[in-house]
Amino acid sequence: MHLQTAVRAFAATALLAAAAPAALADNTQGITDKTIKIGNLGPFTGEAAVFNPLNYGPEAYLRYVNDKGGVHGRKFETVFADSACNEAKGIAAAKKLIYEDKVFMIMGNPCSGVAMAIKPMLEKEGIPWMGPAANPKLTRPTVPAMFHATYTGIESGQNMAKFALSNPAIKKFALIAHSNDWAKGYCDPAEAYIKANGGEVILSTAMERGSTDATAQVLQIKQSGAQAVMGCLYQHELIILLRDMQKFGANAVVVGALGADFDQTVQQVGNPAAVRERFFQPYQFKAKIGSKSLQDFHDIFVKYLKKEELPKAGPPTNFYYFGVPVGIVTVEGFRRAGPSPTREKWIAAIESIKDLDTGVLADKVSYSKDNHVGVNRMFAVGVDKDGKQTVYTQWGKPLPE
Amino acid sequence: MLAVFLQLVVSGVATGMLYALVALSMTVGYRATTVVNFGHGDMVMAGAYAVFVFVGSGLPFAPALLLGLVVLFLFGLGTQRVLMRPIIAGPHLSLAMMALAIGYAVRGGARLEWGSEVTTLQRPYAQDAWMVGPVVFTTDDLVIATFVILLLLVLFLVFNVTPVGRLIRAVFQSQRGAALVGIDVHAFHGVMWGAGAALGAAGGVLLALIVPLSPDMGVWTLLRGFAAMTLGGFGSLHGAVIGGLILGVMEKLLGFYLSTVFIDITAYLITILVLLIRPSGLFGRQAAVRV
Amino acid sequence: MPRLRVTRRLFWLVPLALLPLPLYLDQYRQYVVNLMLMYVPVGIGFNVVVGNLGLLAFSNVAFFGIGAYTSGVLALKLGVPWWLTILPAGLMGALAGCAAGIPALRGVRLFYLAIMTLAFGELLRWVYIRWVPVTGGSFGMSVPPPSVFGWTLETEGHKFYVFLVLVVLMVVLTDRVLRSRFGRAFMAIKDNELAAAAMGIPTDRYILLAFAWGGFVVGIGGSMYAALVGHVTPIAFDLTELILEFAVIMVGGLGSLLGSVIGAAVITAAPEFFREWLGFQELLFGLLIIAVILFLPRGLASLLARLHPVFVDRYYRD
Repeated sequence: MHLQTAVRAFAATALLAAAAPAALADNTQGITDKTIKIGNLGPFTGEAAVFNPLNYGPEAYLRYVNDKGGVHGRKFETVFADSACNEAKGIAAAKKLIYEDKVFMIMGNPCSGVAMAIKPMLEKEGIPWMGPAANPKLTRPTVPAMFHATYTGIESGQNMAKFALSNPAIKKFALIAHSNDWAKGYCDPAEAYIKANGGEVILSTAMERGSTDATAQVLQIKQSGAQAVMGCLYQHELIILLRDMQKFGANAVVVGALGADFDQTVQQVGNPAAVRERFFQPYQFKAKIGSKSLQDFHDIFVKYLKKEELPKAGPPTNFYYFGVPVGIVTVEGFRRAGPSPTREKWIAAIESIKDLDTGVLADKVSYSKDNHVGVNRMFAVGVDKDGKQTVYTQWGKPLPE
Repeated sequence: MLAVFLQLVVSGVATGMLYALVALSMTVGYRATTVVNFGHGDMVMAGAYAVFVFVGSGLPFAPALLLGLVVLFLFGLGTQRVLMRPIIAGPHLSLAMMALAIGYAVRGGARLEWGSEVTTLQRPYAQDAWMVGPVVFTTDDLVIATFVILLLLVLFLVFNVTPVGRLIRAVFQSQRGAALVGIDVHAFHGVMWGAGAALGAAGGVLLALIVPLSPDMGVWTLLRGFAAMTLGGFGSLHGAVIGGLILGVMEKLLGFYLSTVFIDITAYLITILVLLIRPSGLFGRQAAVRV
Repeated sequence: MPRLRVTRRLFWLVPLALLPLPLYLDQYRQYVVNLMLMYVPVGIGFNVVVGNLGLLAFSNVAFFGIGAYTSGVLALKLGVPWWLTILPAGLMGALAGCAAGIPALRGVRLFYLAIMTLAFGELLRWVYIRWVPVTGGSFGMSVPPPSVFGWTLETEGHKFYVFLVLVVLMVVLTDRVLRSRFGRAFMAIKDNELAAAAMGIPTDRYILLAFAWGGFVVGIGGSMYAALVGHVTPIAFDLTELILEFAVIMVGGLGSLLGSVIGAAVITAAPEFFREWLGFQELLFGLLIIAVILFLPRGLASLLARLHPVFVDRYYRD
């Protein structure tokens, strides 16, 4: 019977296919004499697309390096991939980068769920990863090929609490957070830090995406007598919270997580009294955005990013600067890895980085075998009593300009 | 303590007015065409962005608003004509999918343009707050409440007193019958679909007075509007408003007195409870829709 | 050579022809194929309730999530090998199906039923977020690599064969159900519920049965999700996912088993083709669905039905 033979043949090939081992990526995949191919993974669609400047920051830096001649004669070639902040789609995006585009490494700002879903695969294939993602679980516990170039939710969350506690009068805290992994990534470490350092969390409230007001939350905060509020909210909801805090005369200090751009938030609340000496954020950079010492980066963004990659109006925002260290550290790794880089050499090169001044971050970048998060120290940013945006080293202590 | 309670109710009414507005505009579309526009949330969003663009181009607020409503009316009319009419005879679910897909595409387009930043629409009036006893009111609260109540009155008159209302009822009851007596049902559907979109756009603008613009702002409110509409009784104008108010107030009360984690599901809990007791909502008649 | 008679049996050639696929596909493409397979039961279950029974029930994503969480919790917390969690996932899906069907028994219909079933899914999602000790809360949980008879499914190719077996099983069983008296009862209820009841059909029992079967099949799709994605979080079962699943059945063909299969393939593959246009995926995806519904209101399956009667569905009519 023809059919039977066919079936047998199919079955045989099927067995063969099942037995074939997965081809492991080799340790120079993505590297040619002239180019280094890098995947740039992040949400470009869906609600989280608001974070995609985190992907354009490092991209601008790579283009700038290319323009200056590249590293050891090689230029960077980026392949963007959309994770859509959805695990199933994010895995597809990462797999495409690894198995089809055959990139050397991935720079990425995946959402927490996507990060956790792709982590086993990256680990198995030994694909290097360098990112600004808030999710700390990518690098804790340390995994050989995965690095954070900037602050994770742990550092940021701790610094939110630390800044408030640096005011000796503040002891009682309230938490307000979205019920999602991103917000918990900030508020959980903040809560732990508060408890470990003499503070008290007396209220924990939820405010979901798409809220149109925060009456119930603010009245609870007011009633609780909290002196400081940890606001683990995206910009949209943070603005509403600040507005309603003002409306109902709740005078606790609000320290926001890094889901919002400080300048825009202050401006969009639309009421100076609601933010003056009241609203703060942990601050990632060594100086004020727009100040002279960060001017070079501003120029790089404006020169090397396309119109649709830049904000519709106004100068590049916080997230562009927050992303750029990912590019800087990645490039530094290739510089140190020498003229014939492999994945092992690049990883060793990154681990050899000590006290690297990125020119943008508030802390110097250092790695070691057991520490794959480069930075720790942060400042805080707020609006002082004269309505001027100010960077603080701690409560009441402005950073000298 | 009474002060807190009163404040929660007042804020709840303000929020409920927004839900009511979305529910009202969906009800208009449904009453006129027997089709529920599941992409309505994105019309709400598109309206807010349209006005945002016109204001940004230098127009004063009032003409920008008017232009925005006209654009959304034409968009609604156009999509109904080009995309809905050819399949109007097919299964009802195809229409639902079509409306969802149009909304999805519109949202995708908005995201391409404005997805990576948060923007706001400037109020055309000065925001102020008053204390009435211990309760705080804002200008926003008054503007929104006034608009919704006026709209409800106007719609009530249109539906029940004017010839347009008779037309709407005729078409709702029997499209064939209406066509037989010489009503151009297709044109009528197109116009009403456009009117629904324009009303949704007005809702979007009011929403944008109090929250920042985002491509997802419409979808976030749509479900509450849909719940309000169902709670009040599908197709009932005053039902939509009362449903919206109940949801708005209950969200605040449950949120404050029980836990803020309940705010997100208040609409669902109440809708389920009410519909288990009254399967056609508070003010609904047994709906007659083909599926 | 005798002329081949075209019968339904020839459908068996489809899974057979797919067998050598892993030989030709890289891990990315194979993953996408697995994703397509996963959406087949998800679409089938949805279609039974919405298409064949004709009720506006949008709780599909609830069954999907329950299945995924059942598999995940059993595997992670109790160390049960994945293949032994498939049936429990289906049963939990069926249970959720019965729960979602209760309002329908109480006479809730149309948009009232739509919002109630939708609310059911959102309430479950709320439970996933709050029930931290079991579900891992909003961070979700990482599911151990799936295994079958002690054999770990290392590659996408391995998963493919297991998925293929599951999908064929679900298609065949659902075909049986729909072609039995159950399916005929569903059709009668869809046509005219009152008439069906007057004819002595115990409509309540059949409505519950359709919900249970739909939930079962979708629940199994959920356990495939746990195996394929390996990380189960509440956000994966939100309204966006529901719209996607609705698109599977509408683009494939309402009330059509074949349509569910085609829809699953198209709706999963399309976004991958759109990847090249960064940021345009949502817009293009929306336009694609608009185009299909506009030109083929009965879905892509209706295109095949025009080609040959073998593709015509016997258990659905408008």
